[in-house]
Amino acid sequence: MQEQSPRSIRLHRPRHISVFDGQDLKKALLVAAAWLEEHREVINALNVFPVPDGDTGSNMSATMQSAIRQIADSEETSAGVIASKLAHGALLGARGNSGVILSQTLRGLAQGLDKKDTFSAPDLAAALQEASRLAYRAVIKPVEGTILTVVRQSAEAAQRSAERGDDLVGMLQEVVTAARQSVANTPELLPTLKQAGVVDSGGQGFCTILEGVWRYVRGETGALDTMVAAGSNNATAIAQSTAPGTQPKKGRVTIEEEFGYEVVFLLRGERLDVERIRQTIIDMGGVSTVVAGDEKMLKVHTHTQTPGKILDYGVSLGSLLDINIENLQEQSLTYAAASEAEHTAGSAEEERQSSALHAEIATVAVVAGAGFEKVFRGLGVSAIIPGGQTMNPSTEEILAAVDTVDADKVIILPNNGNVILSAQQVPHLTSKEIYIVPADTMPQGIAALLGFNFDADFPTNCAAMTEAAKNIQTAEITTAVRSVYIGGVRVREGDFIGLINGNLTVAGQNMELVIQDTLQRMGMDRYEIVTLYYGEDVTLQQAGETAKRIKRWHSHLEIEVVDGGQPYYAYIFSAE
Amino acid sequence: MAVRIVTDSTADIPLERAQALDITVVPLTVFFGDEAYLDGVELDNPGFYRKLQASKVSPRTSQPPPGSFQEAFTRLIKEGADAILSVHLSAKLSGTYQSACTGRDSLPEELKKIPIDIVDSQSVSLGMSAAIMRAAEEARQGLGLEEIKAHLLDQISRSHILFALDTLEYLKRGGRIGTASALLGGMLSFKPILSLKDGQVVAVERPRTRSKAFERIAQLVGSMGALEEVIIVESDDEVGQQLARILRTTYQGVISSYKLGAVIGTYTGPNTAGVVVITAK
Repeated sequence: MQEQSPRSIRLHRPRHISVFDGQDLKKALLVAAAWLEEHREVINALNVFPVPDGDTGSNMSATMQSAIRQIADSEETSAGVIASKLAHGALLGARGNSGVILSQTLRGLAQGLDKKDTFSAPDLAAALQEASRLAYRAVIKPVEGTILTVVRQSAEAAQRSAERGDDLVGMLQEVVTAARQSVANTPELLPTLKQAGVVDSGGQGFCTILEGVWRYVRGETGALDTMVAAGSNNATAIAQSTAPGTQPKKGRVTIEEEFGYEVVFLLRGERLDVERIRQTIIDMGGVSTVVAGDEKMLKVHTHTQTPGKILDYGVSLGSLLDINIENLQEQSLTYAAASEAEHTAGSAEEERQSSALHAEIATVAVVAGAGFEKVFRGLGVSAIIPGGQTMNPSTEEILAAVDTVDADKVIILPNNGNVILSAQQVPHLTSKEIYIVPADTMPQGIAALLGFNFDADFPTNCAAMTEAAKNIQTAEITTAVRSVYIGGVRVREGDFIGLINGNLTVAGQNMELVIQDTLQRMGMDRYEIVTLYYGEDVTLQQAGETAKRIKRWHSHLEIEVVDGGQPYYAYIFSAE
Repeated sequence: MAVRIVTDSTADIPLERAQALDITVVPLTVFFGDEAYLDGVELDNPGFYRKLQASKVSPRTSQPPPGSFQEAFTRLIKEGADAILSVHLSAKLSGTYQSACTGRDSLPEELKKIPIDIVDSQSVSLGMSAAIMRAAEEARQGLGLEEIKAHLLDQISRSHILFALDTLEYLKRGGRIGTASALLGGMLSFKPILSLKDGQVVAVERPRTRSKAFERIAQLVGSMGALEEVIIVESDDEVGQQLARILRTTYQGVISSYKLGAVIGTYTGPNTAGVVVITAK
């Protein structure tokens, strides 16, 4: 606690604050969100993994922005209501695992402050306990040395502070101190952090938020501007792949298999009875019968298995002109072939969009890369959630996709380990039946789709798709965005790195060797087919050459080259 | 009661077997350009696949004309048939069933006294003909039309088809792809597993390779419970034996195998193998 010297009286907020109301809470969180955003890149840089995926700083900041958007203009004075709105915003906007855990801490805070218009230090301590409890519950396998530890130890410090009788300012001081210590200690709990020489990014993010609140409480802030981070207003770009069935099926003609002959002729005679002639032909078995004209001349058009009979009848009534007989079966097959060709050329895109896999079960997938989008659509996915550069859609974006599809049963393919938690929030927000396939990569998502059984029901398919996703191995080749020592591999920024099922296993300066090494470690002998998806910075020719090399190294393999168009990852391989 | 059994060449019943069982098979026709061949009479399985490989034009098929049925029915009645049971492939796949009906309707009045029951099996190949062969045996034993037909329909209802193709091209080109058209237009290759439902082709699964397809078929067969009979239908020995080997991992009973004929081959293409599984009652 600082002593105030008589000569330097600074304008401070009072050193002791007993209660906070809704507006105080709001301002504190606005400052905290801004503080977090200021430190976004610093926190991103703590990510151990040297790939531009799932950056914690960005995720947590985006989540916070979504939270404060709910309250930024609010005049609400009840703390409980403000907290609840914050939690709701965070829940929807949660991105990445750290974002989801953060949203759960805010939810815990809201539950702890429920029905409280104002709160004091003991209330805050209780709320932080709730926050910690819900954070741990959000993760199936809680790991110490992550944000969870920092939340827990912050809550414990708050508890100790409440027992001592501290006010809000005093408590926050204790909480921030504890949080900083907890963050500094994370490398002792998680070996990968120690190896990489960094602290846990999620923990740091949470600590930064607490610091922001503490700064507000101490008056160390500038104007309370609602700084909504630029770019966090992510227009949900789901328009592309919405509502199967709203696109008209261009160029696709459904041919009813017709058999028999089409008979057309002009009949010239006297006192021809159009109605009677039509009825007689229908009685003879003529289908799609049209008889039009007058008593001297009419045109007959009908489909029949026995053209002779119809013609004989016509001849008995007058003279026949312009007789035309076509074999319907031949016609329909040619027509079908022609319409097929025409439609594939032009409107393949729209067609695939509207041909969903199944009437009652829809699938939505998180996808990055134009080529990958085509693959997923070609396999009948109902909606695509654009993963963006870092494959980090918010819970809200995933929910929107689920809402747009027609079916009541929806299977979600997250296709990235960082999306699974966000996806897991969706079932709480919709009345549809949801299943999330534990697919960590796009090839796993593809395997899951291929494993779909058109004959089976929802539960059987959930199991089948999960099984299919498991049976595929994914390798990714990309460039390291920072230097790091991880998993026993020394990586220098700019190195090519190979990941097997998400684990960094190879690093080097020669891409060809990195690819060869990575595939070798996967053990190509037990696989039959390797699919190579090349990224947006790789040409078809380069991809083809890579495929040839792989075939030379492993001649038994069948190799399929597909334009994935994904950002950052030069190659993504699946082996099965 | 002398019941006579009639079917068409898509039943894929081997010639000698049909003769031994006294089944009348009315052939469809396969066209390679202008060359026409009676299925199973002028063109057998190996002949068809040789021609398929050699020919630049895609084969086409057409149903037997009503006259062929009229002829067959007339002959059988003159030979003393008390009733005729004529069983054919799904009316959604071919006009053969309709043609048979027209043939019956064109019979002269005095022959129309003999009951001629024409059945749309909603199936094809061994999916219907395992039951047809049994019907023929029952006819030889002197069972009546109604009883034979009841047994036939019951057995067909317990017959399940699963087949794996190299490519969907032939089905698509021939306009018989049914709802499996949903599988078209993708970027990835796979060896589709298909079945027949409500008389038309439906998609089942999309394994990436043929061996995976056969493994899946074996697994699906293994999950069907008690089985009365398992039959392999193959385009050639090699692919049929590959399926049989893998099938033995989940089914240890007797497996009989048949070759698919020229008409079926037109729509499936080469390297096709599948099972017809008859589940126990």
